[in-house]
Amino acid sequence: MKKILTIIKAFWQRALTYRFTIFAYRVGEMGEVAVLVLMWSAIYGGQHTISGLTLKEMITYVLIGNIFYVMIRNFLASLVAGDIKDGNLSMALVRPMSYFSFIISREIGRISVATIMSILSQAVVILFFAGSFIWNFNILRILLIAAMVILAFITELLLSYLVGLIAFWVDETDGLYATIERVKKFFSGGYFPISLLPLAFVKVSFLLPFAYSFFVPAQIYLNKMSLMAGVKGLLVQIVWIAALYGIIKIVWNRGLKRYEGVGI
Amino acid sequence: MPIIEAKSLSKKYEFYRKQRGFAGSLKSLFYRKKLYSEAVKDISFKVEPGELVGFLGPNGAGKTTTLKMLSGILQPSGGSAQVLGFDPSKREPAYQKQFALVTGQKNQLIKDLPAIETFIVNKEIYEIPDKEFNETLEELINVFDIKDILDIQVRKLSLGQRMKCELVSALLHRPKVLFLDEPTIGLDVVAQKNIRDFIKKYNQKYKTTVILTSHYMEDIKELCQRVVIVNLGKIIYDGKLEDLIKKYAPHKLLKITFSENGIKKEEAQRFGEVDDFTPYSCTIKTSREKAKEVAVALLSSNLPVDDIVIDEADVDDVIRHIFKP
Repeated sequence: MKKILTIIKAFWQRALTYRFTIFAYRVGEMGEVAVLVLMWSAIYGGQHTISGLTLKEMITYVLIGNIFYVMIRNFLASLVAGDIKDGNLSMALVRPMSYFSFIISREIGRISVATIMSILSQAVVILFFAGSFIWNFNILRILLIAAMVILAFITELLLSYLVGLIAFWVDETDGLYATIERVKKFFSGGYFPISLLPLAFVKVSFLLPFAYSFFVPAQIYLNKMSLMAGVKGLLVQIVWIAALYGIIKIVWNRGLKRYEGVGI
Repeated sequence: MPIIEAKSLSKKYEFYRKQRGFAGSLKSLFYRKKLYSEAVKDISFKVEPGELVGFLGPNGAGKTTTLKMLSGILQPSGGSAQVLGFDPSKREPAYQKQFALVTGQKNQLIKDLPAIETFIVNKEIYEIPDKEFNETLEELINVFDIKDILDIQVRKLSLGQRMKCELVSALLHRPKVLFLDEPTIGLDVVAQKNIRDFIKKYNQKYKTTVILTSHYMEDIKELCQRVVIVNLGKIIYDGKLEDLIKKYAPHKLLKITFSENGIKKEEAQRFGEVDDFTPYSCTIKTSREKAKEVAVALLSSNLPVDDIVIDEADVDDVIRHIFKP
């Protein structure tokens, strides 16, 4: 455990040396969310509800959902892919710590600064639109959301790690990652609430892990989904985490064989 | 008992050939012929504890591949290796805590942080007790004279300084076996010498077993009593450096300078094969046994000899001769 904390601390410090970049990214993030809010306001025009959501609820959906989004996301895939392609993985393989634990700790340390700043800047955006934001302080719902966000964070880490491992087989990975990111964002409800889509689609989304990092916690926050449905969601997430962990083990072992085979 | 033992170690790499152009790329999507290249073929050697062995060979000879197999990065495709009683390919932490790999090309220092931060991370990864860590660190800092640069971002250090820090971070857990893969690559002459001196000192003081690969003859000449020459995946020489010269260079060199008006080439050629001729100096090649005789003959001749040095053939020349296809 101390290993992990030390690595997190070291990369947390490293992140602090990139204060300006981290800050610069946040400006864009804030702008993007503000644009979404304005866009929905324009779409609603005089309409009272769209697919069961009032304008106020839609704005809250966008604002609160983006807070979840910045808490959950990571940039592990390109880090892992880089290590594999540049051969840095070799140096990790000779150390008495698994690459998995090392790189996960490293990523948590690396994103922590950005995550905190993103949460703060998103909070600023919420304050800016405070007049259109719905507050919900139901303790049970908040606890449920917290659990869901933590599980979603773990799911995302595993997923990114897995996607990063593709670099064992493919030389160029950037384009692939960008596409995967967009598909993920679409299924998560990050572009618009997936309830706008046909019911069958929504049902499938509930079985995938992505909706739990945006759409579902936002719906729970808006009282649009029962606590029971939320708890069911947690179970789906746990199953996914177990499955991803298993897949990672298999893919890692195969990838490593290849790494050794071609002596990258 | 040897501390490192390789028995018929081999490594084949897979690769594919792509036909030229777009059509070739398209074809390779559906069908690719798997080809193999043998980077290391049936290599066997033993290293005794405390030895400092140099691996010498041109690019692609299989030096690095051998080191990678000994450190567990690559699985051998044939044969076996044992280091400190472990099979490296199993990557057991008990083994990993007892050796270190330093390469001139890949670094493990965290670039954006001062080196000391990487040291602290390594302390935890290798589970080094506080007291031992502090002692070792202090000692290494003194030997390397890096006190002033410990709190500077690694990427702002010079290559030589960075290499010193790389070595320190690899030595914190006091490895019994040290693999150095071209540790002096890209360094200037002074920095090269610093690193070399350190390796020598370290090996003598701690009796650490070291395998070193290098392109630089100086590294090997200064550091290694024993040299293993690898070419095209095979060991072609394993033994003392002096013996190598005797084996592959059966001649000695007489380096002669002349005073007054100098001499003519024909005059020198009477004594043997002449190289690097100018009227005022030249080198005469003779067989080992005859070197003395020829020197005496030269001195007693009527040539205006100013000075004679009897020298061994240059190692670089010897090696170049060996590697010539």
